[in-house]
Amino acid sequence: MAMTPHTTGSAALPIGAVPTRWGRLTSRESLTGLAFVAPFIIGFVVFSALPMIASLVLSFTDFDPRRADETRFIGLDNYARMLRDPVLLQSLWVTVRFALLVVPLTLGFALAVALLVNNTLLFGRSVFRTLFYMPMQIPIVASTIVWIGVLNAQNGWLNYGLGAVGIDGPNWLQSATWVGPSLALMGLWGIGNMMLIFLAGLQSVPTELYDAARVDGAGVWGRFRHVTLPMISPVLFYNLIIALIATFQYFTQAYVVSNGRGDPDRATLFFNLNLFREAFTFFNMGYASALAWLLFVIVLGLTIVLFRTAGSWVFEGSER
Amino acid sequence: MYRPIGTRRSLGVMGAGFVLFLAACGTQGTSPSEAAESSEPEASASAASGEVVEIEWFVGLGTGENEEQIPTEEAVVAAFNEANPNIHLTLTVVDNTEAATTLAARLPSDPPDIIGPIGIRGLQSFGDQLLDIGPYIESSGVDLSEIPQALIDVYNVDGKQIGIPMAVYPSFIYYNKSLFDEAQLAYPPHEVGEQYEGQDWTWEVLRDLALQLTVDANGNDATSAEFDPENVEVYGLDAQFTENDTRAWSTIFGGSGSVVADDGSTAQWPDNWRHGLQFFYDGIWVDHIIPNQTAVQALADGNTFQSGLVAMDVVHQWYTCCVYPGEGDPPVTDWDIAVLPVGPDGVITSKLHADTIGILDSTEHPDEAFEVLRFLAASPELTQVWGALPAIENQRDAFFAGLDERFTPLEIDWNVSTQMLEYPDNPSHEAFMPSFDEADSANKDFGSRLWNTAGLDLAAEIDAHVQLLQGIFDEGT
Repeated sequence: MAMTPHTTGSAALPIGAVPTRWGRLTSRESLTGLAFVAPFIIGFVVFSALPMIASLVLSFTDFDPRRADETRFIGLDNYARMLRDPVLLQSLWVTVRFALLVVPLTLGFALAVALLVNNTLLFGRSVFRTLFYMPMQIPIVASTIVWIGVLNAQNGWLNYGLGAVGIDGPNWLQSATWVGPSLALMGLWGIGNMMLIFLAGLQSVPTELYDAARVDGAGVWGRFRHVTLPMISPVLFYNLIIALIATFQYFTQAYVVSNGRGDPDRATLFFNLNLFREAFTFFNMGYASALAWLLFVIVLGLTIVLFRTAGSWVFEGSER
Repeated sequence: MYRPIGTRRSLGVMGAGFVLFLAACGTQGTSPSEAAESSEPEASASAASGEVVEIEWFVGLGTGENEEQIPTEEAVVAAFNEANPNIHLTLTVVDNTEAATTLAARLPSDPPDIIGPIGIRGLQSFGDQLLDIGPYIESSGVDLSEIPQALIDVYNVDGKQIGIPMAVYPSFIYYNKSLFDEAQLAYPPHEVGEQYEGQDWTWEVLRDLALQLTVDANGNDATSAEFDPENVEVYGLDAQFTENDTRAWSTIFGGSGSVVADDGSTAQWPDNWRHGLQFFYDGIWVDHIIPNQTAVQALADGNTFQSGLVAMDVVHQWYTCCVYPGEGDPPVTDWDIAVLPVGPDGVITSKLHADTIGILDSTEHPDEAFEVLRFLAASPELTQVWGALPAIENQRDAFFAGLDERFTPLEIDWNVSTQMLEYPDNPSHEAFMPSFDEADSANKDFGSRLWNTAGLDLAAEIDAHVQLLQGIFDEGT
């Protein structure tokens, strides 16, 4: 192929092609590429970036859609209000308490199920994998409504079953004590994605490491502790981050269970539900936007902390 | 120090962003007053030019969104359109749970013209968005003489007449005659001033009656030493669909009151309301005559009277909608209504709901909107389908005749309903509070706590709640 005067670098451009500032791409290629990524860029700008900017602006106002023309800039008032808002503190506590319960529980359960369905001795592994993943295909609202029926204190299946073995089941959804564990129980039902990721991680562990451990005399627990856990620690880390973010964004189940109110006694008033109520029940859009940014900062902070601590327990490929 | 946003452009950018945030569409709205002022000539011009004016009626904030109600509303709309070729009325029906949010989202950019039926509580959220129709009533010569002045005044807010009373819903006792017969007890009084078995008809007498009507799984009533409160099968009393609204509960058992003192900013819980809440709380957790929330859930999914396992139920006129299930055999086969007892404040209080239809002051066609409003307010078929006692007195006989036809062969004593209309709660249990939505939510949170939790020190709980309300009131000022 003949080289043209416009050729840059070591690779050749087609005859007549004009290099652009994008490097080796021709302007036509650049345009084609841009056309392909345009839907994402437009979607991102319209549905993510602009609303984020709008919510940041709104967080400094007292915007109420019912009285849009009376909107005022109120500086940091919304942020100052957070400091004296007992409901915000309560919703944060509800969320943190739930995270402390549900994150380790779901991680442990998902890992246990992944280990189970990864075991070659298990008959019908594919069926079990499908069964554990299947709840992910059901809309959250629908599954929550089913769970409300199951957990009904008077005529729900769970208390019926407990009653059959002589246990007087609690008032799962109307008791401030039990509603958190009830939601955690629902969460365990939906571990399909997490299980799948663990499963992928487990299947990527080289079998020769287990063979070597066996030769060194390691038992089942030893192999799990010294081979499996370190090798899947990046996956565990990923699932931990995702679970934590999901917990801080927990909303749908709490909304459905409590009719959007956080009942009983605000025990299901998660941070996001409180944010939703400020925005769409009380129409305090400005304050709700400030809450959204607080949530962003909290999740960002937690993620940074986890990444900082990851070095001590997450084994990257280069360390293997 | 607050600083108003300087330019319309910045408001527009913010509004546009927000609209995206809400997945709604549009531009920043014109101020309601501007719209109303500037629209009149335009409305006249459009009418004069023979152009058809579009008027949208938004339903869902109160009743009116039930499946069986919509065909009647559609028929009224069709009748209006046929009679008024220059105005095209459209009907938008939104689910009640979504209506307030939907309307709020539409207000900045795409507001409807007419909203309603909307109750007193709903007006606290949208009342200041409504047009003062007083001048239109005067100039058009609408005759309000058939409507009691007290009802007209319900919709006079800060000197603005924001609606013509259409539908009123006094509350009274629905009672299951079969359960009374089974317990061999006399039915409750149908006339104000009538005694029950030789005693004045008070809440204490009603409590004694409810104790005898409350029965456990072994057939023991609540007056028996063997009564098992853990396994109640029939409850003597409920006030269903009041849900967890503490203002409503306090009003039912305690009489009229307000959480706001006369100065308009101090939170309080009047003594008669404290007695009222105590009655309610003891009824649930001490006497076990009123179902708690768990039990309510098990009784026909919250429609407790319909379960046939509640002997007396304090509900509004609108409950005629729902005494029987949508399909299947009704567990309640024989019922009637009775008057409310005298409360601890010495008077009868029939907690009142009332609906109106209002015109949003952002409408571009106030004249045409008022034409529609007049038509709707005078349509007895609407009040009939909404289960409401018509505010216009000469429509009431027809209304009750329609109900008689529906509930035949039962003969319901509708005289009770009209009697109770004479004893509305004033101030209303749905009346204004500072930071209304937040305060209303706090009241319901409190109610939820009482409804679900035994063994509370109610006096201390009320004191703490008043303190919480004060914080909310102060935040709004």
